[in-house]
Amino acid sequence: MTASDLSEPGSRGSPGPAPIPDDELFPSTHPALQGPAPASGTARLRRRILGGAVLVALVALPAVVDQLALRQYASLMVLSLGVLGVVVATGHAGLISLGHGAFVGIGAFSMGWFLDARGWPFVVSLVASFLVTGAFGWLLGLPALRIKGIYLALVTFGVAVVFPSLARRFPSITGGTSGRPVETTMEPPSWTGLGEDHVVTWRYWFCLLVCVLAFVGTRNVLIGRMGRAMEAVRDNEAAAATFGVDLVRVKAGAFGLSAGLAGLAGALQAVLFPFVSHEQFDVFLSLRLYAAAVLGGVGHLVGAIYGVVALIIVPTVNETVGGLVGRPDGLLRNDVIVFGIGLIALTFVSAGGAVGLFQRLAERRRRARTAN
Amino acid sequence: MDLLLQRVFDGLFNGAIYASLAIAIVVIYRATGILNFAQGELATLSGYIGYLFAVPAGAAVAGAELLSFVPGRPWPVPLAIAAAVLFGVVVGATVERLLIRPLEGRSELAIVNVSIGLLIAVNALVAEIWTTNPRRFPSPFPSDPDDFVPVLGARLRYQSLGVWATVLVVLALLGLFLQRTKVGLAFRAITSNRASAELVGVRASRILMVGWAVAAALGALAAALVSGVVFLEPSLMIRVLIYSFAAATIGGLDSPLGAVVGGVIVGLTQSLVPGYLGVPTELSLLPPLVAMFAVLVAKPTGLFGTARVERV
Repeated sequence: MTASDLSEPGSRGSPGPAPIPDDELFPSTHPALQGPAPASGTARLRRRILGGAVLVALVALPAVVDQLALRQYASLMVLSLGVLGVVVATGHAGLISLGHGAFVGIGAFSMGWFLDARGWPFVVSLVASFLVTGAFGWLLGLPALRIKGIYLALVTFGVAVVFPSLARRFPSITGGTSGRPVETTMEPPSWTGLGEDHVVTWRYWFCLLVCVLAFVGTRNVLIGRMGRAMEAVRDNEAAAATFGVDLVRVKAGAFGLSAGLAGLAGALQAVLFPFVSHEQFDVFLSLRLYAAAVLGGVGHLVGAIYGVVALIIVPTVNETVGGLVGRPDGLLRNDVIVFGIGLIALTFVSAGGAVGLFQRLAERRRRARTAN
Repeated sequence: MDLLLQRVFDGLFNGAIYASLAIAIVVIYRATGILNFAQGELATLSGYIGYLFAVPAGAAVAGAELLSFVPGRPWPVPLAIAAAVLFGVVVGATVERLLIRPLEGRSELAIVNVSIGLLIAVNALVAEIWTTNPRRFPSPFPSDPDDFVPVLGARLRYQSLGVWATVLVVLALLGLFLQRTKVGLAFRAITSNRASAELVGVRASRILMVGWAVAAALGALAAALVSGVVFLEPSLMIRVLIYSFAAATIGGLDSPLGAVVGGVIVGLTQSLVPGYLGVPTELSLLPPLVAMFAVLVAKPTGLFGTARVERV
């Protein structure tokens, strides 16, 4: 054998780097990816009480923060649907997506268009935006039948990069280079008694309602037939197909649902800030959504909430600490850096993100208690 | 005719840049089966380091004061580029050692997460230190408006010639390195069959570190060369990275030759398609992306890649 024989790996049919089997991608045996263990009666009760308390706190939030801050929180809250989209695609269906920012964009642009150009009511426009974005996601999910794992990450990354310049090409919908105000704004109806200064409160409640409904709906899909089919495909595609899972339906459907959720996030964004521009939906939005999902934990729905909590906490801490050391604009000009470092650090600490971390802590506490 | 030739020259220039980053992608992919999404950002960071060496001592640039011990700044541009490349070597090796090697045996998702984390962190770090203001990295080649050779009415710029020559020389060096040195031999052995290579005594982890260093050095070179033409700014390499990913995919992700051919194809597509098929310039990203997409769907091995057998 001469040296040049070795120059092209696999030129003699030997494999290059060993292909990674699908079941190693998302090890279903990993506790973090299995979601919480079936809860006992008291644990379930405790969880319900906690959930109810959080919900009450969220509803009451407008009473304690001013309208400007409320709008900030609200815009992050609706972003949780984008993060949820990544959780559904990446964690549950095993389709790595680095391009969900583009879906948020499609949702926002279509919401603006349905409201202004078609004059549809808010709820109808919202559902229509969900469906339109879902259809785009479904189309992008079709090639996922052939493009797997890291290659799908590559393609979705490409979509995220190209989306803003693509959006600029359709100025009638997107406002072109400078963006476009959404003329139809949501105002509180008179029976609520909310005046001019509480516009944001009303929009916030609307967004909160939609978010809760979307989370509940997604949960129902995930624990049902479709959710199990998705996990089966994620863990072993061939086995799933053998057992009669329709791969096209499940993969494209999962990607459609996840894109639709991101689209809802965009549509609600357009309600909160009645202005849409391609600049809001660049590749870094996609990467932030992905980072938030992974930080929260892609294996479980709740991961999306933890992820958004991180999106809220990081800038707040940045500003607070910055204020203490005499940099009122924040310690870091660009707090995204925390997400990058967090993403790397968490990969070493806990594969399941915050969800996995909390579960491990709870497990350890339980073991300590039984040991005593 | 001269317009066509001009577009071909421009396309080949871009193609050379894409090819060098595409080779970096291929080197890492061959060795470890990873697509390094942070390849472009590491290159940008190296480019800024090179830039620090190229500005005069005492210039009001963040980080420049850290280099106050370095004599003789501003360094001549080729030396500054060499500094960037050297920095790339160090960063590439460090990243492999600290972030990638500990993940051995973990899932693909873990490695994607680390490289995305690195992309975000380095991009933000560069913006944090040097702000998003565009900066001009001096070109190592004569780049005045009249520095060109007229060829049939088109302008073949010295700069293009210089970049091609650099890329070709680097490719030749890389080939020599892989074919004629012990480390190169070991690298090829690992990419061919890692387990067997380790059995005959190759220390795979060390060699992989070299692979990452080489890849990061290629990226640093690409960043330095491209910022001699367009401005150096934090997100410079993200677009270049996408073109290079497309180039590597089209050529076949495990083939260095494919990376070069793919780079040329992507460069030419970028300059010719908008002009002749009516695709607007700002959408020049679209044709290579569509090509990449088509390749992945129809022929995932690309033009020169090796088919893989997947066991179920």
